[in-house]
Amino acid sequence: MSTPVIEIKNLEKVYEGAVPVHAVNGINLTITEGEFTALKGPSGCGKTTLLNLLGGLDKPTSGSIEIGGVDITTLSENELIDFRLRNIGFVFQAYNLIPVLSAQENVSFIMLLQDRPKEEREARAQQLLEAVGLKGKEGQRPGQLSGGQQQRVAVARALASKPQFVLADEPTANLDSTSTANLLDIMEKLNKEEGMTFVFATHDDRVIKKARRIISIEDGKVLSDE
Amino acid sequence: MIFKVAWRNIWRSKVRSFIVIGSIAVGIWAGLLIIGFSFGMNNERTTSAIGTTIGHVQIHSAAFDIEPITGAVLGDEAAVNELREEVERLPFVAGTAQRTVLQGMINSAKSARAVRIMGVWPEDERAQTTLPLTLVEGDFFESAGRNRLVIGEKLANRLGLKIRSKVVLTFQDAEGTLSRASFRISGIYKTLNATWDEFHLYVHHEDLEQTLGAPLVHEVLVRFTETVDTDEKTVELAEVLPNGMSLKSWKQVNPELGFADDMMAIMLVLVLGIIMMALLFGIINNMLMAILERRRELGMLMAVGMNKRKLFLMILLETLMLGFVGGPIGIVLGDISTRIMMRIGVDLTSKKEGLAELGVQSIIYPEIVPEYYIIIAIMVVTTALIASILPAVRALKLNPVEAIRGQ
Repeated sequence: MSTPVIEIKNLEKVYEGAVPVHAVNGINLTITEGEFTALKGPSGCGKTTLLNLLGGLDKPTSGSIEIGGVDITTLSENELIDFRLRNIGFVFQAYNLIPVLSAQENVSFIMLLQDRPKEEREARAQQLLEAVGLKGKEGQRPGQLSGGQQQRVAVARALASKPQFVLADEPTANLDSTSTANLLDIMEKLNKEEGMTFVFATHDDRVIKKARRIISIEDGKVLSDE
Repeated sequence: MIFKVAWRNIWRSKVRSFIVIGSIAVGIWAGLLIIGFSFGMNNERTTSAIGTTIGHVQIHSAAFDIEPITGAVLGDEAAVNELREEVERLPFVAGTAQRTVLQGMINSAKSARAVRIMGVWPEDERAQTTLPLTLVEGDFFESAGRNRLVIGEKLANRLGLKIRSKVVLTFQDAEGTLSRASFRISGIYKTLNATWDEFHLYVHHEDLEQTLGAPLVHEVLVRFTETVDTDEKTVELAEVLPNGMSLKSWKQVNPELGFADDMMAIMLVLVLGIIMMALLFGIINNMLMAILERRRELGMLMAVGMNKRKLFLMILLETLMLGFVGGPIGIVLGDISTRIMMRIGVDLTSKKEGLAELGVQSIIYPEIVPEYYIIIAIMVVTTALIASILPAVRALKLNPVEAIRGQ
């Protein structure tokens, strides 16, 4: 049996206002090591909120999220920053690379934040960029790369810190079909060969088709889990 | 790599960074020019006063300092000679001059004024002061004759006196008896200190001795080899003085000169402070713009695990780098400009009369003051440090989720 990476219990997130909004409404989930999971649902269903809660970017109103045995809802802001750095990889919809750094430097930067030695940073960045098919593009800055290439750099960056899992929020939303297929192949390969756990928030059918587990969310609740 | 990121970040908006760096450079350049100009003007005034009239230090009897009466002499001729020899042995002393100093009245056909009568040994004055060079008419006791008098131009004008005009001087002798003597104007001087000119007149010591009966030395003027560290030298000089004598430094003799020095130092720090304040707001504005433009990126950095300390450091470095680029440019520009002006001078002939009242010539030669380069460097770094606080705090307050979404 696979080891649980994420365990969510009775998770709720309520945005207070004139009319309180239950963005996440009592979700219970377990995500195990090596999963390739898609959280799907219409816009506003709560999947991005759930992803933010899983990534420790937002605090739940109630419930718990255990990652590798640590309940991240109990961590302070500074502890959460450090936890994210060492345990979670992020891939964002708009790539969010540092424009003044080359592809290799963007990947290395995360390891620098982890205070890893320079030789290790350079070797791993090289290896990851090769793994995402960007060998020869190491010295290019984001502005010199296509959208698909930038998102592949973002995937390499997400993996650089050797996280327990990668959270990807609409990673293909800004990509054409070729780039999307390319990116998904790479992530699937990393998942199968290195056992990296991926959790996507998406409504892109191309991603959903590739996922081995699909969790449908609606009105902040799990509608189905296949 | 944080250094590299910070350095590259400041060149993301080249125009904006160039404007900030340019304003830092221009601010420092202007500051250095003001400093150079102010020091040039003040030092010229001080050097002129010291060289022309008052010397670096004056030695009097302690009694003379309490009340400058005629009887308060430094001693007989032998004692004064011994004193001068003792003082001249000090390595930093360039020379000495002795004077008779009397409080008295000058009467012309037109008017009368209270004056200080300086009985001088002309060869001493020529050697130790530049007063003989300030003569606009006549000579400084070079021509033959008796009871000659050299008067300031301002006083001469007030009394309606010209060369060869006759005046009567009234003063006390050593016993306190009032004496009168007739003198004839043989020279008219004009220093940069109009106040001095209005109150001091010079006569040959021999002519005074005719009335006083003996050479009375009230004052020994001491000239140092250079006008630096005069306070320390004055203290050292005081140690060789016999009892019953007192020292007055040029700052005590002419307090407004010392006061002007102190005031100028305060004013310059204020001016630099104002310049730095202007730069502070410019840098803060630039950095806030930069933070606003990079919200998404900063949000990403916080999301992936850049801690607050490193984020603060990155913004701090960016701000400091602006100062580190602009600062040296400003200092080099300021140094070059000051050196050029030191050679050619700043011609303020149109303000000649006003400057003369201040004891300054119409052409000002600025000076390089190395200590202020260090002060400016410290102020620029401090300004950059302060300027980084608000933008850094703004950045730290970003909510990663909202920032990544671009909200």
